[in-house]
Amino acid sequence: MSADLPPTLDETPEAAPPRRWLAVVLVATAALLLLSGGALLVLARLGQVAVASPLRPVTASASGEDEKILARRAAAAKTLERLRPRGVYIVVDSYRNRLRLYRDGELLRTAVCSTGTGVVLRDPRNGRQWVFDTPLGERVVERKVKNPVWAKPDWAFIEEGMLPPTDPNERFDPNSLGDYALYIGDGYIIHGTLFKTLLGRRVTHGCIRLGDEDLEFVYRHTPIGSRVFLY
Amino acid sequence: MRTWNLSTGILRSVAACFCTSLAAAALAAPGDPPAQPLATELEARLAGSPSIYLVVDVVRRVVDIKARAVLLDRIVLHGVEVVAHRPFFSPRHAATLELPTVWTVTNGPGDTDREIIAPPVLRPYSSGDDEEEKEPVPATPTPRPTGPQPTPTPVPEPPVSYRARMDSGWDLLVTDALPPQGLVARFAAAVRDGWRRLRGEAPPPPPALALAMAREDAQRLHHLARSGMKILLVAAP
Repeated sequence: MSADLPPTLDETPEAAPPRRWLAVVLVATAALLLLSGGALLVLARLGQVAVASPLRPVTASASGEDEKILARRAAAAKTLERLRPRGVYIVVDSYRNRLRLYRDGELLRTAVCSTGTGVVLRDPRNGRQWVFDTPLGERVVERKVKNPVWAKPDWAFIEEGMLPPTDPNERFDPNSLGDYALYIGDGYIIHGTLFKTLLGRRVTHGCIRLGDEDLEFVYRHTPIGSRVFLY
Repeated sequence: MRTWNLSTGILRSVAACFCTSLAAAALAAPGDPPAQPLATELEARLAGSPSIYLVVDVVRRVVDIKARAVLLDRIVLHGVEVVAHRPFFSPRHAATLELPTVWTVTNGPGDTDREIIAPPVLRPYSSGDDEEEKEPVPATPTPRPTGPQPTPTPVPEPPVSYRARMDSGWDLLVTDALPPQGLVARFAAAVRDGWRRLRGEAPPPPPALALAMAREDAQRLHHLARSGMKILLVAAP
Protein backbone atom coordinates (compact mmCIF):
# COMPACT_ATOMS: atom_id res chain seq x y z
CA MET A 1 0.00 0.00 0.00
CA SER A 2 2.82 2.37 0.87
CA ALA A 3 4.57 1.55 -2.43
CA ASP A 4 1.78 3.28 -4.40
CA LEU A 5 2.14 6.60 -2.56
CA PRO A 6 4.77 9.26 -3.45
CA PRO A 7 7.61 9.38 -0.98
CA THR A 8 7.61 12.24 1.46
CA LEU A 9 10.62 14.32 2.47
CA ASP A 10 10.70 12.66 5.83
CA GLU A 11 10.94 9.29 4.24
CA THR A 12 13.87 10.16 1.81
CA PRO A 13 16.16 12.71 3.53
CA GLU A 14 19.12 11.99 1.16
CA ALA A 15 17.21 13.25 -2.00
CA ALA A 16 17.25 16.98 -1.01
CA PRO A 17 20.51 18.92 -0.26
CA PRO A 18 20.98 19.74 3.37
CA ARG A 19 20.12 23.32 4.15
CA ARG A 20 23.47 23.87 5.79
CA TRP A 21 25.37 23.06 2.60
CA LEU A 22 23.08 25.22 0.54
CA ALA A 23 23.80 28.16 2.79
CA VAL A 24 27.55 27.56 2.52
CA VAL A 25 27.38 27.52 -1.27
CA LEU A 26 25.31 30.70 -1.34
CA VAL A 27 27.64 32.51 1.03
CA ALA A 28 30.70 31.36 -0.90
CA THR A 29 29.16 32.52 -4.17
CA ALA A 30 28.26 35.86 -2.70
CA ALA A 31 31.75 36.27 -1.28
CA LEU A 32 33.28 35.36 -4.64
CA LEU A 33 31.06 37.85 -6.43
CA LEU A 34 31.92 40.54 -3.91
CA LEU A 35 35.61 39.86 -4.22
CA SER A 36 35.48 39.84 -8.03
CA GLY A 37 33.41 42.99 -8.11
CA GLY A 38 35.72 44.66 -5.66
CA ALA A 39 38.75 43.64 -7.69
CA LEU A 40 37.15 44.96 -10.86
CA LEU A 41 36.30 48.23 -9.12
CA VAL A 42 39.86 48.56 -7.86
CA LEU A 43 41.20 47.87 -11.36
CA ALA A 44 38.77 50.36 -12.87
CA ARG A 45 39.85 52.91 -10.26
CA LEU A 46 43.51 52.29 -11.14
CA GLY A 47 42.97 52.38 -14.87
CA GLN A 48 42.09 55.18 -17.19
CA VAL A 49 39.72 55.12 -20.08
CA ALA A 50 39.77 56.88 -23.43
CA VAL A 51 37.07 59.50 -23.14
CA ALA A 52 35.88 61.23 -26.28
CA SER A 53 34.79 64.77 -25.56
CA PRO A 54 33.42 67.32 -27.95
CA LEU A 55 36.00 69.82 -29.13
CA ARG A 56 35.35 73.45 -28.31
CA PRO A 57 37.62 75.53 -30.55
CA VAL A 58 38.85 78.78 -29.10
CA THR A 59 39.57 81.20 -31.87
CA ALA A 60 42.93 82.74 -31.12
CA SER A 61 43.21 84.94 -34.15
CA ALA A 62 41.76 88.37 -34.05
CA SER A 63 38.30 88.33 -35.49
CA GLY A 64 36.25 91.22 -36.67
CA GLU A 65 36.32 93.27 -39.78
CA ASP A 66 38.49 96.17 -38.84
CA GLU A 67 40.87 97.52 -41.43
CA LYS A 68 44.03 95.92 -40.08
CA ILE A 69 42.54 92.45 -40.12
CA LEU A 70 41.10 92.93 -43.59
CA ALA A 71 44.45 94.17 -44.87
CA ARG A 72 46.30 91.22 -43.38
CA ARG A 73 43.79 88.78 -44.77
CA ALA A 74 44.00 90.36 -48.23
CA ALA A 75 47.81 90.25 -48.16
CA ALA A 76 47.81 86.56 -47.20
CA ALA A 77 45.22 85.76 -49.87
CA LYS A 78 47.38 87.54 -52.42
CA THR A 79 50.38 85.45 -51.36
CA LEU A 80 48.36 82.26 -51.73
CA GLU A 81 47.17 83.33 -55.16
CA ARG A 82 50.75 84.03 -56.23
CA LEU A 83 51.86 80.57 -55.10
CA ARG A 84 49.18 78.72 -57.06
CA PRO A 85 50.49 77.00 -60.20
CA ARG A 86 49.79 78.50 -63.60
CA GLY A 87 49.44 76.59 -66.83
CA VAL A 88 49.77 72.81 -66.91
CA TYR A 89 50.37 70.79 -63.78
CA ILE A 90 50.09 67.14 -62.77
CA VAL A 91 48.54 65.71 -59.61
CA VAL A 92 49.32 62.13 -58.55
CA ASP A 93 47.20 60.36 -55.94
CA SER A 94 49.56 57.62 -54.80
CA TYR A 95 46.95 55.82 -52.70
CA ARG A 96 44.27 55.50 -55.37
CA ASN A 97 46.86 55.36 -58.15
CA ARG A 98 45.39 58.09 -60.27
CA LEU A 99 47.19 60.75 -62.26
CA ARG A 100 45.32 63.93 -63.18
CA LEU A 101 46.50 66.50 -65.68
CA TYR A 102 45.28 70.09 -65.30
CA ARG A 103 45.63 73.29 -67.25
CA ASP A 104 44.87 76.43 -65.24
CA GLY A 105 42.76 74.41 -62.86
CA GLU A 106 40.78 72.70 -65.60
CA LEU A 107 40.99 68.91 -65.63
CA LEU A 108 42.37 67.68 -68.96
CA ARG A 109 42.76 63.97 -68.27
CA THR A 110 42.55 61.35 -65.54
CA ALA A 111 44.72 58.25 -65.91
CA VAL A 112 45.20 55.04 -63.99
CA CYS A 113 48.81 54.73 -62.87
CA SER A 114 50.99 52.62 -60.61
CA THR A 115 53.00 54.07 -57.75
CA GLY A 116 55.50 52.97 -55.11
CA THR A 117 54.93 50.12 -52.71
CA GLY A 118 56.51 51.75 -49.68
CA VAL A 119 58.51 48.58 -49.13
CA VAL A 120 62.07 48.82 -47.81
CA LEU A 121 64.77 46.77 -49.57
CA ARG A 122 67.88 45.95 -47.56
CA ASP A 123 71.22 45.00 -49.11
CA PRO A 124 72.29 41.81 -47.27
CA ARG A 125 75.96 42.69 -47.72
CA ASN A 126 76.10 46.03 -45.95
CA GLY A 127 72.61 46.85 -44.70
CA ARG A 128 72.12 49.70 -47.17
CA GLN A 129 68.43 50.45 -47.62
CA TRP A 130 66.15 51.74 -50.33
CA VAL A 131 62.60 52.88 -49.64
CA PHE A 132 60.30 52.31 -52.58
CA ASP A 133 58.12 55.34 -51.96
CA THR A 134 56.64 57.63 -54.51
CA PRO A 135 57.81 60.96 -53.12
CA LEU A 136 55.33 63.39 -51.61
CA GLY A 137 55.14 67.07 -52.34
CA GLU A 138 55.88 69.28 -55.28
CA ARG A 139 58.31 68.43 -58.05
CA VAL A 140 59.02 69.81 -61.51
CA VAL A 141 59.28 68.11 -64.89
CA GLU A 142 63.00 68.54 -65.45
CA ARG A 143 63.28 66.90 -68.86
CA LYS A 144 61.33 64.78 -71.28
CA VAL A 145 62.78 61.92 -73.31
CA LYS A 146 61.37 59.90 -76.19
CA ASN A 147 62.40 56.22 -76.30
CA PRO A 148 64.10 56.40 -72.93
CA VAL A 149 66.77 53.96 -71.79
CA TRP A 150 66.77 52.85 -68.21
CA ALA A 151 70.10 52.71 -66.41
CA LYS A 152 69.32 50.07 -63.82
CA PRO A 153 70.42 51.12 -60.35
CA ASP A 154 71.91 48.73 -57.78
CA TRP A 155 68.58 47.97 -56.14
CA ALA A 156 67.18 46.53 -59.37
CA PHE A 157 69.78 43.74 -59.18
CA ILE A 158 69.77 43.27 -55.43
CA GLU A 159 66.01 42.86 -55.37
CA GLU A 160 66.38 39.95 -57.77
CA GLY A 161 69.07 38.41 -55.60
CA MET A 162 71.95 39.38 -57.86
CA LEU A 163 75.13 41.35 -57.37
CA PRO A 164 75.20 44.59 -59.37
CA PRO A 165 77.29 44.08 -62.53
CA THR A 166 80.72 45.63 -62.77
CA ASP A 167 80.28 46.44 -66.47
CA PRO A 168 78.13 49.60 -66.76
CA ASN A 169 76.87 48.49 -70.18
CA GLU A 170 74.99 45.67 -68.51
CA ARG A 171 72.84 48.20 -66.70
CA PHE A 172 71.19 49.71 -69.76
CA ASP A 173 67.68 48.57 -70.57
CA PRO A 174 65.98 50.14 -73.61
CA ASN A 175 62.65 48.30 -73.31
CA SER A 176 61.25 48.90 -69.87
CA LEU A 177 60.28 52.56 -69.66
CA GLY A 178 57.92 52.60 -72.62
CA ASP A 179 57.93 55.20 -75.38
CA TYR A 180 58.23 58.35 -73.27
CA ALA A 181 59.64 59.47 -69.96
CA LEU A 182 59.18 62.63 -67.91
CA TYR A 183 61.94 63.02 -65.34
CA ILE A 184 60.86 64.71 -62.11
CA GLY A 185 64.16 64.64 -60.21
CA ASP A 186 66.13 62.32 -57.91
CA GLY A 187 65.70 59.43 -60.35
CA TYR A 188 61.89 59.48 -60.24
CA ILE A 189 60.25 59.18 -63.65
CA ILE A 190 56.78 59.16 -65.13
CA HIS A 191 57.10 56.40 -67.71
CA GLY A 192 55.40 53.49 -69.45
CA THR A 193 55.32 49.87 -68.45
CA LEU A 194 55.35 46.32 -69.72
CA PHE A 195 53.19 45.28 -66.78
CA LYS A 196 49.94 46.89 -67.88
CA THR A 197 47.75 44.53 -65.88
CA LEU A 198 49.29 45.99 -62.73
CA LEU A 199 48.21 49.55 -63.47
CA GLY A 200 46.12 50.89 -60.63
CA ARG A 201 48.17 49.10 -57.99
CA ARG A 202 51.09 50.06 -55.79
CA VAL A 203 53.79 47.93 -57.34
CA THR A 204 56.60 50.26 -58.36
CA HIS A 205 59.85 51.33 -56.76
CA GLY A 206 58.73 54.95 -56.58
CA CYS A 207 58.28 55.88 -60.24
CA ILE A 208 54.86 56.54 -61.74
CA ARG A 209 53.87 54.14 -64.48
CA LEU A 210 51.20 54.92 -67.07
CA GLY A 211 49.54 53.07 -69.90
CA ASP A 212 50.71 53.86 -73.44
CA GLU A 213 47.93 56.23 -74.50
CA ASP A 214 47.86 58.14 -71.24
CA LEU A 215 51.64 58.44 -71.27
CA GLU A 216 51.64 59.88 -74.78
CA PHE A 217 48.92 62.38 -73.86
CA VAL A 218 50.77 63.50 -70.75
CA TYR A 219 54.04 63.71 -72.64
CA ARG A 220 52.56 65.87 -75.40
CA HIS A 221 50.62 68.23 -73.13
CA THR A 222 53.14 68.74 -70.31
CA PRO A 223 55.90 71.23 -70.99
CA ILE A 224 59.24 71.08 -69.21
CA GLY A 225 59.02 73.06 -66.00
CA SER A 226 55.47 71.98 -65.23
CA ARG A 227 54.80 71.25 -61.60
CA VAL A 228 53.93 67.77 -60.33
CA PHE A 229 52.08 67.43 -57.03
CA LEU A 230 52.29 64.01 -55.40
CA TYR A 231 50.28 62.98 -52.35
CA MET B 1 92.03 99.77 -34.03
CA ARG B 2 90.34 96.55 -35.02
CA THR B 3 88.81 96.29 -31.54
CA TRP B 4 87.43 99.78 -31.85
CA ASN B 5 85.86 98.89 -35.24
CA LEU B 6 84.28 95.75 -33.83
CA SER B 7 82.84 97.61 -30.86
CA THR B 8 81.47 100.27 -33.15
CA GLY B 9 79.84 97.62 -35.27
CA ILE B 10 78.23 95.99 -32.28
CA LEU B 11 77.05 99.36 -31.00
CA ARG B 12 75.54 100.16 -34.39
CA SER B 13 73.73 96.79 -34.47
CA VAL B 14 72.36 97.31 -30.99
CA ALA B 15 71.25 100.81 -31.88
CA ALA B 16 69.56 99.55 -35.05
CA CYS B 17 67.69 96.84 -33.14
CA PHE B 18 66.67 99.36 -30.50
CA CYS B 19 65.39 101.80 -33.11
CA THR B 20 63.47 99.05 -34.95
CA SER B 21 61.86 97.99 -31.70
CA LEU B 22 60.93 101.56 -30.92
CA ALA B 23 59.40 102.00 -34.36
CA ALA B 24 57.41 98.79 -34.01
CA ALA B 25 56.23 99.85 -30.58
CA ALA B 26 55.22 103.23 -31.92
CA LEU B 27 53.17 101.63 -34.71
CA ALA B 28 51.26 99.35 -32.36
CA ALA B 29 48.71 101.05 -30.19
CA PRO B 30 49.58 101.02 -26.49
CA GLY B 31 48.02 98.10 -24.69
CA ASP B 32 47.45 96.10 -27.90
CA PRO B 33 47.99 92.37 -27.46
CA PRO B 34 50.52 90.81 -29.84
CA ALA B 35 48.84 90.15 -33.18
CA GLN B 36 47.66 86.55 -33.51
CA PRO B 37 48.20 84.97 -36.90
CA LEU B 38 45.20 84.50 -39.13
CA ALA B 39 44.44 81.12 -40.66
CA THR B 40 45.14 82.54 -44.12
CA GLU B 41 48.50 83.85 -42.97
CA LEU B 42 49.46 80.48 -41.53
CA GLU B 43 48.45 78.77 -44.73
CA ALA B 44 50.46 81.24 -46.78
CA ARG B 45 53.52 80.25 -44.75
CA LEU B 46 52.87 76.55 -45.33
CA ALA B 47 52.20 77.02 -49.03
CA GLY B 48 55.59 78.69 -49.38
CA SER B 49 57.32 75.31 -49.15
CA PRO B 50 57.02 72.51 -51.73
CA SER B 51 55.60 70.07 -49.18
CA ILE B 52 52.10 68.69 -48.92
CA TYR B 53 50.11 70.02 -45.96
CA LEU B 54 46.76 69.22 -44.45
CA VAL B 55 44.13 71.74 -43.44
CA VAL B 56 41.74 70.37 -40.82
CA ASP B 57 38.62 72.45 -40.40
CA VAL B 58 37.03 71.30 -37.17
CA VAL B 59 33.83 73.26 -37.75
CA ARG B 60 33.12 72.29 -41.35
CA ARG B 61 34.52 68.83 -40.60
CA VAL B 62 36.77 68.42 -43.60
CA VAL B 63 40.43 67.60 -44.15
CA ASP B 64 41.91 69.28 -47.21
CA ILE B 65 45.07 67.85 -48.73
CA LYS B 66 46.88 70.82 -50.24
CA ALA B 67 50.12 71.97 -51.80
CA ARG B 68 50.95 75.49 -52.91
CA ALA B 69 47.40 76.50 -51.94
CA VAL B 70 45.98 74.03 -54.47
CA LEU B 71 43.29 71.74 -53.15
CA LEU B 72 44.44 68.27 -54.20
CA ASP B 73 41.85 66.22 -52.35
CA ARG B 74 39.22 66.52 -49.65
CA ILE B 75 38.13 64.10 -46.94
CA VAL B 76 34.82 64.52 -45.15
CA LEU B 77 34.91 63.77 -41.43
CA HIS B 78 32.21 62.00 -39.47
CA GLY B 79 33.31 63.54 -36.23
CA VAL B 80 35.98 65.62 -34.56
CA GLU B 81 36.51 64.95 -30.87
CA VAL B 82 39.22 65.06 -28.28
CA VAL B 83 40.17 61.66 -26.90
CA ALA B 84 41.95 61.79 -23.57
CA HIS B 85 42.67 59.10 -21.02
CA ARG B 86 40.93 59.98 -17.79
CA PRO B 87 39.99 58.11 -14.63
CA PHE B 88 36.78 56.17 -15.05
CA PHE B 89 35.07 57.98 -12.21
CA SER B 90 35.75 61.50 -13.48
CA PRO B 91 33.12 63.69 -15.17
CA ARG B 92 33.18 64.40 -18.91
CA HIS B 93 33.74 67.91 -20.09
CA ALA B 94 34.42 69.59 -23.41
CA ALA B 95 38.06 70.03 -24.31
CA THR B 96 39.34 73.31 -25.64
CA LEU B 97 41.88 73.90 -28.36
CA GLU B 98 43.20 77.26 -29.42
CA LEU B 99 42.85 77.75 -33.18
CA PRO B 100 44.21 78.40 -35.71
CA THR B 101 47.44 76.57 -35.10
CA VAL B 102 49.98 74.50 -37.00
CA TRP B 103 51.09 71.10 -35.82
CA THR B 104 54.00 69.11 -37.22
CA VAL B 105 54.09 65.34 -37.26
CA THR B 106 57.14 64.15 -35.31
CA ASN B 107 56.47 60.44 -35.60
CA GLY B 108 53.76 58.85 -37.65
CA PRO B 109 52.79 55.48 -39.04
CA GLY B 110 54.05 56.59 -42.44
CA ASP B 111 57.54 56.46 -40.88
CA THR B 112 57.28 53.19 -39.06
CA ASP B 113 54.81 50.86 -40.77
CA ARG B 114 57.17 49.45 -43.37
CA GLU B 115 57.63 46.05 -44.88
CA ILE B 116 61.34 45.20 -45.10
CA ILE B 117 62.63 42.73 -47.66
CA ALA B 118 66.16 41.44 -48.16
CA PRO B 119 67.41 38.54 -50.25
CA PRO B 120 69.42 36.17 -48.02
CA VAL B 121 72.38 36.00 -50.45
CA LEU B 122 73.33 37.63 -53.73
CA ARG B 123 74.51 35.52 -56.65
CA PRO B 124 76.75 36.87 -59.42
CA TYR B 125 74.91 38.82 -62.08
CA SER B 126 73.94 37.08 -65.29
CA SER B 127 71.96 38.80 -68.01
CA GLY B 128 70.06 35.61 -68.80
CA ASP B 129 71.26 35.54 -72.43
CA ASP B 130 72.91 32.12 -72.00
CA GLU B 131 69.70 30.60 -70.76
CA GLU B 132 67.78 32.13 -73.63
CA GLU B 133 70.09 30.50 -76.17
CA LYS B 134 69.29 27.08 -74.82
CA GLU B 135 65.56 27.65 -74.97
CA PRO B 136 63.69 26.96 -78.22
CA VAL B 137 62.66 30.12 -80.06
CA PRO B 138 58.88 30.60 -79.84
CA ALA B 139 56.90 30.99 -83.04
CA THR B 140 55.57 34.44 -82.09
CA PRO B 141 58.09 36.25 -79.93
CA THR B 142 56.56 38.13 -77.03
CA PRO B 143 58.28 41.01 -75.30
CA ARG B 144 60.07 39.78 -72.25
CA PRO B 145 59.51 42.05 -69.27
CA THR B 146 63.03 42.77 -68.19
CA GLY B 147 62.61 46.15 -66.63
CA PRO B 148 61.41 47.39 -63.29
CA GLN B 149 59.66 44.30 -62.09
CA PRO B 150 56.91 44.54 -59.52
CA THR B 151 58.32 44.19 -56.04
CA PRO B 152 57.93 40.61 -54.88
CA THR B 153 56.32 41.58 -51.60
CA PRO B 154 52.59 42.32 -51.73
CA VAL B 155 51.70 45.67 -50.23
CA PRO B 156 49.97 45.29 -46.88
CA GLU B 157 46.67 47.08 -46.43
CA PRO B 158 47.03 50.21 -44.30
CA PRO B 159 45.31 50.21 -40.91
CA VAL B 160 42.07 52.11 -40.36
CA SER B 161 42.94 53.45 -36.92
CA TYR B 162 46.31 54.89 -35.95
CA ARG B 163 47.99 57.72 -34.09
CA ALA B 164 50.59 60.23 -35.20
CA ARG B 165 52.63 62.12 -32.61
CA MET B 166 52.67 65.91 -32.96
CA ASP B 167 55.19 68.50 -31.85
CA SER B 168 52.46 70.14 -29.76
CA GLY B 169 52.41 67.20 -27.37
CA TRP B 170 49.11 65.99 -28.79
CA ASP B 171 48.42 63.00 -30.96
CA LEU B 172 46.37 62.98 -34.10
CA LEU B 173 44.11 59.95 -33.97
CA VAL B 174 42.79 58.94 -37.37
CA THR B 175 40.07 56.37 -37.03
CA ASP B 176 37.00 54.98 -38.68
CA ALA B 177 35.23 54.71 -35.31
CA LEU B 178 35.60 56.70 -32.12
CA PRO B 179 36.14 54.68 -28.92
CA PRO B 180 32.85 53.36 -27.51
CA GLN B 181 31.45 55.63 -24.81
CA GLY B 182 28.83 53.32 -23.29
CA LEU B 183 29.11 52.73 -19.56
CA VAL B 184 29.87 49.02 -19.86
CA ALA B 185 32.44 49.53 -22.62
CA ARG B 186 34.18 52.29 -20.67
CA PHE B 187 34.19 50.20 -17.50
CA ALA B 188 35.71 47.27 -19.37
CA ALA B 189 38.34 49.54 -20.91
CA ALA B 190 39.18 51.00 -17.49
CA VAL B 191 39.58 47.50 -16.02
CA ARG B 192 41.81 46.46 -18.90
CA ASP B 193 43.94 49.59 -18.48
CA GLY B 194 44.14 49.05 -14.71
CA TRP B 195 45.35 45.51 -15.30
CA ARG B 196 47.96 46.82 -17.75
CA ARG B 197 49.17 49.34 -15.17
CA LEU B 198 49.41 46.64 -12.52
CA ARG B 199 51.65 44.69 -14.85
CA GLY B 200 53.78 47.79 -15.43
CA GLU B 201 53.00 48.19 -19.10
CA ALA B 202 53.24 51.44 -21.06
CA PRO B 203 51.28 54.43 -19.79
CA PRO B 204 48.35 55.67 -21.88
CA PRO B 205 49.16 57.93 -24.82
CA PRO B 206 48.76 61.72 -24.66
CA PRO B 207 45.47 63.40 -25.55
CA ALA B 208 44.53 63.13 -29.16
CA LEU B 209 42.52 65.08 -31.65
CA ALA B 210 40.40 62.31 -33.10
CA LEU B 211 39.29 62.57 -36.70
CA ALA B 212 36.63 60.02 -37.51
CA MET B 213 36.18 59.28 -41.18
CA ALA B 214 35.27 56.54 -43.61
CA ARG B 215 37.43 53.43 -43.58
CA GLU B 216 39.03 54.08 -46.97
CA ASP B 217 39.73 57.71 -46.13
CA ALA B 218 41.56 56.68 -42.96
CA GLN B 219 43.68 54.34 -45.06
CA ARG B 220 44.33 57.10 -47.60
CA LEU B 221 45.78 59.39 -44.95
CA HIS B 222 48.05 56.68 -43.50
CA HIS B 223 51.06 57.23 -45.76
CA LEU B 224 50.79 61.01 -45.39
CA ALA B 225 51.32 60.84 -41.62
CA ARG B 226 55.10 61.15 -41.84
CA SER B 227 57.64 63.20 -39.93
CA GLY B 228 57.60 66.81 -41.00
CA MET B 229 54.05 66.84 -42.35
CA LYS B 230 52.39 70.12 -41.38
CA ILE B 231 48.79 70.21 -40.28
CA LEU B 232 46.92 73.49 -40.10
CA LEU B 233 43.99 73.37 -37.71
CA VAL B 234 41.32 75.97 -38.30
CA ALA B 235 37.77 76.63 -37.21
CA ALA B 236 36.00 78.29 -40.08
CA PRO B 237 33.06 80.43 -39.01
